[in-house]
Amino acid sequence: MTYRVGGLGEPATFDSGASLLITGESALTKQRLFDAVAPEANERTVVITADSGAETVVDELESRGASRDQLGVIDCTSTESDVEGVPVRQLNSPGDLTGLSLEFAKLLDDDPDRVRVGFSSISTVLMYAELRTMFRFLHVFTARIRSGGMLGVFSMDPGMHEEQAVNTIRAVFDAEARIGDDSADLRGMRFAQ
Amino acid sequence: MVSGDDRPTVLIVEDERALIELYVRWLEDDYDVRTADGGEAALEQLDEEVDVVLLDRLMPGMSGDEVLSELRSRVPECKVAMVTAVEPDFDVIQMGFDDYLTKPVEREELLETISRLLSRSTFASLEQELYSLAAKQAALRASKPAEELNDSEEFADLERRVAELRERIDDALPSMENDEFVAMVRDIEGGNETEFDGSER
Repeated sequence: MTYRVGGLGEPATFDSGASLLITGESALTKQRLFDAVAPEANERTVVITADSGAETVVDELESRGASRDQLGVIDCTSTESDVEGVPVRQLNSPGDLTGLSLEFAKLLDDDPDRVRVGFSSISTVLMYAELRTMFRFLHVFTARIRSGGMLGVFSMDPGMHEEQAVNTIRAVFDAEARIGDDSADLRGMRFAQ
Repeated sequence: MVSGDDRPTVLIVEDERALIELYVRWLEDDYDVRTADGGEAALEQLDEEVDVVLLDRLMPGMSGDEVLSELRSRVPECKVAMVTAVEPDFDVIQMGFDDYLTKPVEREELLETISRLLSRSTFASLEQELYSLAAKQAALRASKPAEELNDSEEFADLERRVAELRERIDDALPSMENDEFVAMVRDIEGGNETEFDGSER
């Protein structure tokens, strides 16, 4: 089973269970992340957001063809939102990783077959969590994504961190898409392009 | 994690004598088994050798919750499965348990739960080792030009170890369910396990 992913230049097909890191300036990666997690007909999408509110997330995905019953949002931005027809879980802090994983588990309690997971962004959460904690969290999260045959799409802005931290986080992922103004350079494994 | 004779140690805390005997019979071929018929006895039996604790939540005397917090502070890395008469929700994870079993506990279920809890400990310690190696790799990448790294024996060796470790991690826990995921994240955040000590296993 595979997931077709747009927004990365050439269309790409990812193996189910794969996790992709999208790197670049956050304004650019945000749009690419929405492109990549927009669900197809038989899929669900859960977005964990620490930078755009739930309403923005739902708008962006609807404009990419998603219907509300396909979506779920874990909102760590501390903004009030009222999105009818979409389960939105609020978290007080992006650094509450246990709360985040619990809400994620609850949103997928019915064990759906095909799920795209968006995480925007690692950079924001890294302001609240230590690098070591974040690395280990991402490692366990991507293991859960692999085990469930889902697709994981995470974004990070390398300009916000030390090069060493960026390289450490990179080691968690199967593939990386480096996003420039008009370019996307995809490398790694578990995909075909 | 593994004690002197290489068999993991399981501590059964249960106030019904008949159940203790049954569990011991099921486990004694594969594990070193210790038993306790109440909270205070459990704490007496507890030391670093214990890998998994089966804890009956409703015992006379010290409650299961009290015993749990005492267990956690004394041997943070051991895994604790709650044995309960009522089917719980995700709450058991937030309460600090690693898993639960509902009574009546069946043999297969008991063996599977213990073996998954042990796999989870292995996964967590390998994964901490992976972090150290990945951080080392990242530091080298950040400090030296790519050409120099390509020629470096040390870097090639590091890459080999990372690849090998990834395989062992995948083998340790080939599948992960939702509640397991939550429990593992809780452990990572709580620092609720052994610090990796840098030794090869």
